[in-house]
Amino acid sequence: MELNLLFLPLISFIISGVFGKYIGDRISEIISSLLVSISAVLALLIFYDVIIQGYENNIVIASWINSGSLNVNWSIKVDAVSAVMLVVVTLISSLVHIYSIGYMSHDQHKPRFMAYLSLFTFAMLTLVTSDNFLQLFFGWEGVGLCSYFLIGFWYKKDTANTAAIKAFVVNRVGDFGFALGIFLIFYLFGTVNYDEVFQQVPQILNNELIFFGISLNSIDLICILLFIGAMGKSAQILLHTWLPDAMEGPTPVSALIHAATMVTAGVFLVVRCSPIFEYSQLTLNIITFVGMSTAFFAATVALVQNDIKKIIAYSTCSQLGYMFFAAGVGAYNVAMFHLFTHAFFKALLFLGSGSVIHSFKNEQNINEMGGIWRKLPYTWILMIIGTLALTGFPFFSGFYSKDAIIEYAYLRGNTAGYYAVIVGIFTALLTSIYSWRLIFKTFHGTYNNQKLKIDTMHESPLVMLVPLVILAIGAIFAGYFFKELFIGHSSSNYFWTDSIKFLIPLSSDHPPLWIIYITPIIVVLSIPFSYYLFVKNKSITNWLINENKPLYNFLVNKWYFDELYDYLFVKPSKKVGIFFWKNVDIKIIDKFGPDGISNLIKIFSNKAVKFQSGFIYQYAFIMLIGFSAILTYLILI
Amino acid sequence: MIAHSIFFYTFSIIAIVSAIMLTVSKNTVHSVFFLILDFISISCLFIMIGAEFLGMMMLIVYVGAVAVLFLFVVMMLNVAEQKNQWFVSTESSTHIPIGLVVSLVIFFELLVVIGGWKFKPDLMTTMSLSINQNITNTHSLGALIYTDYIHIFQLSGMILLVAMIGAIVLTFRQRSGLKRQSYFAQISREKTEGVQLIDVESNKGVNLDD
Amino acid sequence: MIDIGLSHYLTLGAIIFTIGVVGIFLNRKNIIVILMSIELILLAVNINLVSFSIFLNNLTGQIFTLFILTVAAAEAAIGLAIIVVYYRNSGTIRIEEINNLKG
Repeated sequence: MELNLLFLPLISFIISGVFGKYIGDRISEIISSLLVSISAVLALLIFYDVIIQGYENNIVIASWINSGSLNVNWSIKVDAVSAVMLVVVTLISSLVHIYSIGYMSHDQHKPRFMAYLSLFTFAMLTLVTSDNFLQLFFGWEGVGLCSYFLIGFWYKKDTANTAAIKAFVVNRVGDFGFALGIFLIFYLFGTVNYDEVFQQVPQILNNELIFFGISLNSIDLICILLFIGAMGKSAQILLHTWLPDAMEGPTPVSALIHAATMVTAGVFLVVRCSPIFEYSQLTLNIITFVGMSTAFFAATVALVQNDIKKIIAYSTCSQLGYMFFAAGVGAYNVAMFHLFTHAFFKALLFLGSGSVIHSFKNEQNINEMGGIWRKLPYTWILMIIGTLALTGFPFFSGFYSKDAIIEYAYLRGNTAGYYAVIVGIFTALLTSIYSWRLIFKTFHGTYNNQKLKIDTMHESPLVMLVPLVILAIGAIFAGYFFKELFIGHSSSNYFWTDSIKFLIPLSSDHPPLWIIYITPIIVVLSIPFSYYLFVKNKSITNWLINENKPLYNFLVNKWYFDELYDYLFVKPSKKVGIFFWKNVDIKIIDKFGPDGISNLIKIFSNKAVKFQSGFIYQYAFIMLIGFSAILTYLILI
Repeated sequence: MIAHSIFFYTFSIIAIVSAIMLTVSKNTVHSVFFLILDFISISCLFIMIGAEFLGMMMLIVYVGAVAVLFLFVVMMLNVAEQKNQWFVSTESSTHIPIGLVVSLVIFFELLVVIGGWKFKPDLMTTMSLSINQNITNTHSLGALIYTDYIHIFQLSGMILLVAMIGAIVLTFRQRSGLKRQSYFAQISREKTEGVQLIDVESNKGVNLDD
Repeated sequence: MIDIGLSHYLTLGAIIFTIGVVGIFLNRKNIIVILMSIELILLAVNINLVSFSIFLNNLTGQIFTLFILTVAAAEAAIGLAIIVVYYRNSGTIRIEEINNLKG
């Protein structure tokens, strides 16, 4: 069953990718959606097994490397953490496949799109079902590669190409840290298999390493390096610049990759390596701090964005910050729970916005929209459901997961935890403000579009709405039904068992009542507040913008991160590259290499030509010289 | 013995000087004359040394035939009219010093080879072709050539024949536009080709344009 | 110095040989000088052979010289014929203008 689950997406990729031209668009769409949906059903079955009977398995498919002390296998490891990820990945992927049938109906390259989606699914499944770091890295790189393909899917657009390269390069920076971490793991433990590494971790707790002249605890160093990889893949602050630009890809791509699956690979890594991270308090603090900062930063930027997909992208960035923040305080199961619920409502939001974009004929600026809630009723309802779940409205799924994060941060007890609680609550306020801003500006108010008449607005086809409905069901109910399973008091014994390690068991206290109630109250109150702000009385927002122009510009330009990186890294790298090209490559290597050798040959052959002067007496002269040389040689010896 | 050495030095100095003048002189005809002088002085040397047949032969063949041939060609080719200077082309004048050095090297090596050679003492007794002082040089040479070296003699005749034919083949050219007699054609003419009887009507004349 | 021995004749031969060799490539005039230099070389060889023959009391040297004479004559004839034909074809026998072998 696991084998089928893993390889059906690969088969779908091969069929759509290689034979798509021959079998036609419609058939390749249907085949790929069908195969991935079968994988989703199998994943649900496995998940059910894991819940009911604690099913765990590690199937070795083949041996990959067998060299000295390095033994690495291709394997499928099923336990609680990977079962959750399997469900998330395959379910969202199959829904996105079906949605794309409708969304990409005007595109000419449908089989290629389906093939890339399936390849991505396969790579992500390889990532989550690995039982060693090397296969994880293989899946890691695979999803990065597919992200490049899919962001640059409309390759004729210049911005899409540059965005794809930016995503790949920024990811690369993270991957470099991750690779260093894996090397260090092999160096210290002699193996890269999870079980063996996790077993040996307690034995080298006090080992120290010298890194760039600084003496560090080796566990700390490993965890920092692994976290750098997670930062790159999950777009945490400092390595986040690729995520908003990745919205150049088609909307189903954003839903699949940048909401539900690829960006959660970083969280998965941290949770999977919880046995290592638990021993490094320094790294956990760093993770908390980074997660918190990302959540805050992304929420502030999302407040002033005008592109509908960019708002949701920054929202994703912010929610990932929450997940890391939960992992940093030691509540790994809460992070997984938030990952699970987030996948549903974020994919719902992205696909819903795709439906809106489809209706507006590829218009993405929310200032050009408005007042269409009567025309697109289903989309409107579904987007509202997604927003309610995202903001943490009581009893929707986001409420349980997000509030659990804030609670556990408080229960941690140290100053980092308290500080995190304040930032978390404030960010939740910002989250709800920008989410409702999106809804009101898109669906309410006056119709602002200049190019299209309001009468041409029509609802999306059924093939696009049905996945939205399924996701909405998940967004509403997934929190309530799975709360006990994921973050209940006995969940660590009952469900997670060995897949997550808790050094200090999570406290089963309850925080004071005001913590529990403050967030939902803020969230509920923000709905009428933002309605007033963005629909009824827009002059307040205009006044705020005009009064605080510098702050507004700071936020709109994404805290000037892109400009900073351009100044710090891009321009110097370009200078270095050009210097090396012009001076070293052309002047030195080419001069002594190919050009130099060819010039040398020319010079020598020009000199050699002079031997063939055509004057016979010169030939005779040379013969004479040769003769005298031989004679001298014969005489002298 | 003194006369021997005086004659030897005279003849050898004349030979060397004329050899040098041959290569150095500006006029090609002068070069040929110096060649002739060279041959004559060496021939005199041979006669003095006792090989008079060879000396006479050299005079007849070299001077009388080869040098005269040179002169014919020099005159025919209008070489003498070209007043060449010695250093007229600069590109080939760069290796005069090298050439002189190399030639000096060769000269000294020749001396070394010769000087270091010691002939086998019993060589003179083993060969039976010793010079008999009673008969003339010509006589003894003839007795040797036509008996022991007859094959080589015939071959040299062949060589001369081939050279003669080769020279004719190379330089012979048919001149076009000359009227020549072909006896064979003349003699083998038939009456039917030579004479044609034509009936002439009176007052009509005959037309011979055919 | 007074007593003329074999080595004097051999030295004379060596000098004339060297002058003949030098004449091949140090002349600036025309090809006929080259042919004359070749004759000089053959002459030097003749001197060598005859002097050896006389001093070693052996007639073989003189016989060989006779044949060298023959061959030299034949070769001079052919060489001059070639020069004549070449002159007919190219119109010059100056050294600087004969570089048809130039590659």
